[in-house]
Amino acid sequence: MTSGLILFLVSILSLGAIYAVLCMALNLESGVGGLWDLGIVSFFGVGAYTYVLLTAPAAADYQAYIFGFELPIWVGAVAAMAAGALCALLIGPPTLRLKREYFLITTLAFAEVIRQFLTNESWLTNGVAGIYGLRPPLRDVVAPGNYGFVMLGMLLVGLAVVTLIARHLIAAPFGRAFKAIRENEPLAITAGIAPKRQNLMVYVLAGAISGLAGVFYIWFNTIVTPGQFTSDVTFFVWTALIIGGLGSLRGALAGGFIFVILHDILRFIPVSGEAAATVSSLRTALIGLVLIAILRWRPNGLFPERPVAFRADSEPAPASRAMVSRNA
Amino acid sequence: MDILIFGTISASILLLSSIGFSMVLKTEGFINVAHGQALLVGAYGALYLNHLGLPLWVAAVVAAVGCGFLGVAMNRLLFRPVKAQGILVLLFTSVGVAYVIYGVVGALAGKRMLAYDLPPMRAWQIAGEPFMTPYELAIVALAIASALGVHVFLTYTWAGKCIRAVADNEDLARARGFNPRRTSDIVWFVATALAGLAGIFLGIVGSLHTQMGWQQIIMILAVTVLGGLGSIYGVMLASVVLAFGIEIGLTVISSNYRTGLAFALIIAVLLVRPGGLQSLWGGGQLRSH
Repeated sequence: MTSGLILFLVSILSLGAIYAVLCMALNLESGVGGLWDLGIVSFFGVGAYTYVLLTAPAAADYQAYIFGFELPIWVGAVAAMAAGALCALLIGPPTLRLKREYFLITTLAFAEVIRQFLTNESWLTNGVAGIYGLRPPLRDVVAPGNYGFVMLGMLLVGLAVVTLIARHLIAAPFGRAFKAIRENEPLAITAGIAPKRQNLMVYVLAGAISGLAGVFYIWFNTIVTPGQFTSDVTFFVWTALIIGGLGSLRGALAGGFIFVILHDILRFIPVSGEAAATVSSLRTALIGLVLIAILRWRPNGLFPERPVAFRADSEPAPASRAMVSRNA
Repeated sequence: MDILIFGTISASILLLSSIGFSMVLKTEGFINVAHGQALLVGAYGALYLNHLGLPLWVAAVVAAVGCGFLGVAMNRLLFRPVKAQGILVLLFTSVGVAYVIYGVVGALAGKRMLAYDLPPMRAWQIAGEPFMTPYELAIVALAIASALGVHVFLTYTWAGKCIRAVADNEDLARARGFNPRRTSDIVWFVATALAGLAGIFLGIVGSLHTQMGWQQIIMILAVTVLGGLGSIYGVMLASVVLAFGIEIGLTVISSNYRTGLAFALIIAVLLVRPGGLQSLWGGGQLRSH
């Protein structure tokens, strides 16, 4: 019982780490960049499929997918990030011209088109059946009983790297430019910041990170099917980020884990087949209630974005602070 | 001929689903994702009442009115308190509402596919070709009637004028003595009741399943974007264009690409005319959000 519980917790934390990576990507573009993207699952799916097609063994005769080069894992991961970025680079220029709500719906539209492409073009993806039995890294060198911990470790390292990069980017001129645009766009333009270029850059960056999250997801799941990449994922990641706190790095980190715990903790309770469907429906309702409650009483999330204060060394401590204020 | 018939039927249902969504978008200013789940409530509510022994048309009316009151309740309890927080909070509150409705209906109804208990009827023949069944004809007629009704309501009634005034400029409308709260209740009632009705029609034409709300909201979004956000007449045109566009497109492309085709269509339109179809007659230029 206890070992079962521990394995269950390890798998929940692993999934939480994957969601946290997606939250990081979404937080960069939506929280920092102010792009309301309802298509983050596109890059997640494209990354996952790119990775699988490059690293999986060639298709057996009952399957139909192309490539299957059995390339090394790092090649697959880099290619997945590149594919996510490329996908963003293609979708970005036409959609970023649109106003907010139109952007929101058009990105959702692209996600839907991409999912249907993955479902229907079975020569490329083996269709609805998906591709099974993908071997995650280090699978052969670790005892099966301990593999869950190794997986969790790898995902946490991945999450840590992404977090460090995100933190650096937010503090760097790149991230500060977005805050300038957010607070006063005409002034930012006068200061030499090009909002369109910034938007495209952050969109592509989010694409690359989501592509990497796709690779992690494949490691975790060892299968890939189009059904894993519905717009539900987009809404789940948004929910996670809103629970944590939009615009805040700690919020994105915590949100991913909190969401997965909320969503999956009921899974451990053993129930009969008929009741299982009811429980899974109620789980969705619970997520909805939490989302409504957070937005009602903590609209900035559990870990809201903190204002950053810059202070020149020579100045006395609290007086004359140049505040970069935060938005709502 | 088939294209004409199927196109007309799906345009009618799309129209009914999208008018309410567009009204809420226009007056409240946000994308109400829970609108799709109102279809689900309408469809399953009517099914439940039908199983209790009510004839389907009575069940449909009761369910649609019930949906209307549900809409008012959602507005008063959930959306109005967070309205000041901006449209992103409203949007995701509606996502939360959609999850709750979807989860509760799923838990009550189970995941099986269901259908209404309707006596089967043969399609009428016109010149030897099968035309619509009486059910389908009734749906088309009711959809057209509803669209005209909404038009008359918005143009000629006091409540309709309130709605348009509040949608254009809430402060000015308030200064002229319109009551925005009552107006928004009316909008929510009409919008959600129409959605419930659309859900019932969707169940009559096809079958009932718990995913129908999510599937239809995708199409509603496509129609709304194509018509121009918040433009009710744009939506009327867009649902016809989209329904026929899909039916015609499906003769060339595999039917698995149904919603994909819809979105390919709106992506194409938006790239040429970023304001949607309403910009054809100069609408939407004054929208500030």
